Amino acid sequence: MNTTVFALTLRQIAGQRRILVVGLVATLAPIGLALIYGAGSFDDPLDWTSNTLLDSIVVRVVLPLACLLVGTSAMGTEIEDGTAVYLLSKPLPRREIVFAKAAAAILVAAAFLLPATALAPQLSLEGAGGEGLVPGFLVATALGICAYTMIFVLLSVATSRPLVFGLGYVFIWEGLLGDLFTGTRYLSIRQYCLGIADGISTVSDRVFAAELNGAIALALMLAVIAGATALATRSLARFELRAED
Amino acid sequence: MDESVRTDAAAVELDAVSRWYGNVVAVNEISFKLGSGITALLGPNGAGKSTVLHMMAGFLRASRGTVRVLGQPAFANPEIYRSVGLVPEREAVYSFLSGYDFVLTMAKLHRLKDPEAAARRAIQTVDMEQFEKRKTGGYSKGMKQRIKVAAGIVHEPSVLLLDEPFNGMDPAQRLQMMDLLRKMAAQGKTIVVSSHILEEVEQLAGNIVVIVAGRLAASGDFRAIRRLMTERPYSFTVRSSDNRGLAVALLGDDSVFGVELNGERLTVRTAQFSEFVRAAPRVARASGITIRELVPADESLESVFSYLVNR
Amino acid sequence: MREAAGGSIYDLGYRHYIGPRLGRPHAIVAMYVQSLRSIFGIGRPLTSKIGPWLLTAAAYVPALVQLGVASISTGELDVLEPHDYYTYIQIVLALFVAVVAPELAGRDQRSQTLSLYFSRAIVRDDYALAKYAALVTAMLGLTLLPQLLLFIGNGVALDDLGGYVEDQWSDLPAAAASALLICLLFAGISFAISAQTPRRAYSTIAIIAVMVISSVVGITLVESIEGDGGRYGILVSVFSIADGLTFWFFDATPASEEPLAKADLWGGIYALTAVAVTLVCLALILRRYRTIQA
Repeated sequence: MNTTVFALTLRQIAGQRRILVVGLVATLAPIGLALIYGAGSFDDPLDWTSNTLLDSIVVRVVLPLACLLVGTSAMGTEIEDGTAVYLLSKPLPRREIVFAKAAAAILVAAAFLLPATALAPQLSLEGAGGEGLVPGFLVATALGICAYTMIFVLLSVATSRPLVFGLGYVFIWEGLLGDLFTGTRYLSIRQYCLGIADGISTVSDRVFAAELNGAIALALMLAVIAGATALATRSLARFELRAED
Repeated sequence: MDESVRTDAAAVELDAVSRWYGNVVAVNEISFKLGSGITALLGPNGAGKSTVLHMMAGFLRASRGTVRVLGQPAFANPEIYRSVGLVPEREAVYSFLSGYDFVLTMAKLHRLKDPEAAARRAIQTVDMEQFEKRKTGGYSKGMKQRIKVAAGIVHEPSVLLLDEPFNGMDPAQRLQMMDLLRKMAAQGKTIVVSSHILEEVEQLAGNIVVIVAGRLAASGDFRAIRRLMTERPYSFTVRSSDNRGLAVALLGDDSVFGVELNGERLTVRTAQFSEFVRAAPRVARASGITIRELVPADESLESVFSYLVNR
Repeated sequence: MREAAGGSIYDLGYRHYIGPRLGRPHAIVAMYVQSLRSIFGIGRPLTSKIGPWLLTAAAYVPALVQLGVASISTGELDVLEPHDYYTYIQIVLALFVAVVAPELAGRDQRSQTLSLYFSRAIVRDDYALAKYAALVTAMLGLTLLPQLLLFIGNGVALDDLGGYVEDQWSDLPAAAASALLICLLFAGISFAISAQTPRRAYSTIAIIAVMVISSVVGITLVESIEGDGGRYGILVSVFSIADGLTFWFFDATPASEEPLAKADLWGGIYALTAVAVTLVCLALILRRYRTIQA
C-alpha cells in the first residue's frame, strides 16, 4: 500500500469539516439512543439491543451511510472533475492507489463506527450478559466497513453517479427489495454483516436470528471485498478523462 | 525561435488515430510523429486538440489507431510516466498542501531516490521558492501554473506535455516559462504545448500541428506551411516615394496579379513569393521610385492559422 | 464601414435590444419551468434521468399492486388503504429529494451561474422560491398522482366508478391535503440542506441522514420514554410527522403497535409541526440565498 497516497487521502477526507460532523452524528446516534433506552425500564434489553440498536440502527442505517460518505469522498471529487490525472500520471500500479485510498476511507469510517458499536450495547444492556453480541457485531461491522467502502469506491471510479447507485443499492436493493424477497440475501452486504454477527454471538435464535449462516456470510463478504477491489483496480487502470463540452 | 524537429527519433507517434463519442467524431484519422524540440498543438476550441493531448497523455483511449509514446502504447500504461511529464489544465484538489509539499508528494509518487532534492530543484527552476511554504489554495493563477509545471518536471522527464500552460500568466512569467521550455528543448527533450495564444506559440515553436474539426490540417514549420499554401496569394505591404506610380509599374510584371491603393499604403497581391521579391526592387529602380518598406502582410502564424481554420 | 487613419470598423449589424421586456413574473415562471424540467433530467444527459425517473416509478408501485389485486378480485380485496400509502413509499420520497434537491441547489452554486441569474430580472427571493415550488410540484407527482390513480383505479375495479366516488369522495381532499403538506415538508428540509453547499455528495447524504436518523431517534424516544417526553419525542421523526398528519386528514386510527398509537397525540399536532418545520426551512433557504456571494 502506498503510504503517500494513504496519508494524502486521509488529509483530504479528515480535513473536511462536514465529514467530521456527519461522523460525529454517526458515532453519537447509537450511543445516545442506547442511553435513552437505558434510562427507561424495559423487559428485554437483549432483544432491543440486538434487533433495534445493532441491527436496525447501526447495520442498516449508520454503517452504510458513513461508508457512502467516506467511500465517495476518497476519490469522488478527483474523478468527477478530472484532477485524478495528478495521481494517475505516476508510474504506480493502480492496485496500490485503490488500496491506499480505500484504506484511508476505511480507517476514517472505522474511527466513527467501531467505538459506537462497542460502547452503545454496553449502555443499553446495563451489565446484563451480552452473549457475544458486542464481539459479533464488532467483527461484522469492521468487515462491513471494508465491503461497503470498497463498493462505493468502485462506484466512484466506474460510474458517473456513484451516489445515486450507492443509495439505490442500500435503500432499494438491500432495503425495500431485501425485505420483500429473501433471495436477495446472498447479494446483500447487510445480510452478510448480520450473518457474521449471529455466527459469532451466542444469542438464542428466538431473540436474534440472521438470514444467512455465519460461515457462508463470511465467505461471501470476503468475496465481495476481493471482487470490488479487483473491479475498482481494473476500472482505474482504464480511466479516461471525460469529454470536454 | 526555431527548433528543428528530428523525426527519426519519434518520441510521440500517432498512427491513423480516431476517436469518437457515439455519433460524434472528435478526432479523425490523425497521424504524425514528434521528436525533440517544441511542438505546438493548435486548433480552435472543440477541434480535438485537447482530445489528442489527452490521448498522448494516456488518459483517453483511441477508438482506432495507435498512440505511442517513447515506443510504448500510451493508454493504461503507468510505466510511461517514468519519462513522461504532464502539466494538466485542471487544478489539483490538494489546496491544503503547501507548494513545496505538493511538489514533494508528486516526487515521492514518482519513486525518486531523493524526492526532497528533486522538489527543491524543480521549484527553483520555476522560480517559486519564495512562495513554496504557502498553501496552494492561496496561490494566484499564475503561481498555480508554475507549481504545476514544477510538479510536471520534478522527475526530469524526456517528454513533457503541457495543456494551455500560459493561462493566467503575466507577460514576465510567460517569458520565463518560454525560456525554460526552450532550455529543455535544447537538451533534447520533446515538448508538446497545446495553446491557442498564437503570439506565444509563434515565438516558441517551430513545429506546429494544426487540428481543425478533428482532422490534421497541417504540420511542420509554420513558415514552410505558408509556402505550401499556393492557392492563396501572398500579400505585401509597400511604402514608397510614389505608391501610385509603383502600383502602375508593378502591374506590368507577371508575378503581380493585384494592387490596391489605400491612402499611404500599397498592397500588392502575388502568387509567386520569390519572383515578386526579386521583381519589386527591379521595377522600382526602373521607374525611379524608392521603396521604403516591403513587408509580407500575412506571414504571421495568425494568418496561417485563420486560413487553415476557415478553409 | 468606417475608417480612420490606420483602423477600420465593420458594422456587422449588431444592435442593442430595445424591444419590450417581459418582467419579473415572467422570469419567475421561466425559472420554475426550467427547474421542474431539470429535476426530471429533461434536456440533460441520460444519467441524470435515471435516479428521478426510477424513483418516480417506484412511488407508483403500491398503487399498481393494489389495482392489480383489485381488478382480479373485483374490488373485494384491499391490499392497502389510502392513508397507508405514504408509509410504504416514505423511503422512496426521501431518496427522491435526496437525489434531486442537491442537483437543484448545488449545480448553480458550483458552476457559479448564480451571478448571472441575479443580474437579471429575477430577484434572489424569487429564484429560491421558484426552485422550491418546482421541487414541491415534482414531489406532488410522487404523492398526489399515485393517490389519484389509486382512487380512480379502485372505482374502476368495482365497475362502479360513480358509486365509488360518491362513497369515498372524502378521500380526495384528505389525499390532497396530506400530499401537499408532505411535499412541502420534504421539499423544505431537502432544499434547506442542499442550499448550504455546492457539494452535492454531502447534501445527499445529509438529507438521508437527517430523514432516516431523525425517524429512528423519534421512534426510539416514543418507545423508550414514558410520559410526555416520550410522546412528544415522536415529533423529531420526519417520517412520523408525515404519517401522523396523513392519518389525521383521513380520520384514521393507527394500528396499536405502531409508534403513532403509542404517542397518542392529537393528529393536528403533526400537521402543525409540519407547517412549522417547513416555515423554518423556508426561512433558512431565503437567508442563504440572500446572503450568498454571487
